[in-house]
Amino acid sequence: MGSFYFPGDSWLHRTAAGVKLLLLMLAGAGLMWVHDWRILLLVLLGVLLLVQQSGARLQQVWLYLKTLSWLVIILILYTAFAQTPLGALEVGLRIYALLLGALLVSMTTSIAQMMEVLIWLLRPFHQLGWVNSERVALVFGLTLRLIPELTVQWQDIREAQAARGLKANPFTMGVPMLLRTLRRAQDIADALDARQ
Amino acid sequence: MLKTKDLVLVALFTAMIIVLGLIPPVPVPWVPVPITLQTFGVMLAGLILGPWRGGLVVLTYVLIAMLGIPVLPGGRAGLAVLAGPTGGFLLGMIPGAVITGWLAGALPRGELAHAPQGWKAVAPQVLRCWVASVIGGLLVVYAVGIPWLATVTGMGLNKAAWAVVVFLPGDLLKALVASIVAQRVRRLGMI
Repeated sequence: MGSFYFPGDSWLHRTAAGVKLLLLMLAGAGLMWVHDWRILLLVLLGVLLLVQQSGARLQQVWLYLKTLSWLVIILILYTAFAQTPLGALEVGLRIYALLLGALLVSMTTSIAQMMEVLIWLLRPFHQLGWVNSERVALVFGLTLRLIPELTVQWQDIREAQAARGLKANPFTMGVPMLLRTLRRAQDIADALDARQ
Repeated sequence: MLKTKDLVLVALFTAMIIVLGLIPPVPVPWVPVPITLQTFGVMLAGLILGPWRGGLVVLTYVLIAMLGIPVLPGGRAGLAVLAGPTGGFLLGMIPGAVITGWLAGALPRGELAHAPQGWKAVAPQVLRCWVASVIGGLLVVYAVGIPWLATVTGMGLNKAAWAVVVFLPGDLLKALVASIVAQRVRRLGMI
């Protein structure tokens, strides 16, 4: 599975992941209080400049934005209808500035770096003994490993039912999917325990 | 402390929600909006795994998406989703699963496996699961999602709430399907 991250050597890539995340959070909270569309436009242009600085291919950025856009466009139309066109402009600018900013962090920070920030954030809980960072990492790794397995499992059930002339329906798919998944849990747990 | 099996269950259920979310949306009669199976998975996590493991499942799901792995419906991921107008609905699923699991309560282990299976015998269990998923999976999720939507877009709470109304029939139906499926699975006492 691909992620948004692309390797690079821009100063945005070199900035610590924690700093980028903190700035993104502050910007997100700050923009909620800005209601002047001219300032919002400046912010959006600033973010675009940063995107350009990161060395991202604009085509790629556009592709990501497109997957997020249909909802935003509905929202803008809804706001224009329910409020004023100027309000809709403000909403659109704010959302795109935030989306692009967040996308920028995702594009310049690898999953490993993000994971490090997460583990760092969990450290106080780890020291209190509430959370075991290694187990967190285990659950994450296991989840990613199981996605293809469960996709195959879904297709198996689907095919088995198609062979019997059944159409996909939430009951006939849901129950066997869950039962097989639960049955698997014990086997995997036993395998993990045996290795410890 | 969670046992290894609990960790595995959390990982398996998270992976299942991801798979359900990646399957193309299922069109449902009478409902204008295509239904993604993602919230369906969230309700099931609470109903079947109980409040804590169910909550952990959704927490893991949200964190994996935030790390930037495209696991959300439509292959979306990353912080952009959280920063966007629907971020609150995603975050609201975490307390949502906990409250669903808490309200649904535990079923005595395997005791009902041989109980009568008539419609009348299972109705109280299904009803309880349904109420739990409506309160946890809908009300709690909306309670976080709607103010978030209102804040990000700057539209009033009222208007944001109206924008969400189109999803209500589909979500109520989804809660019912999840409850029936959960009741059938819970009865077997495999957890």
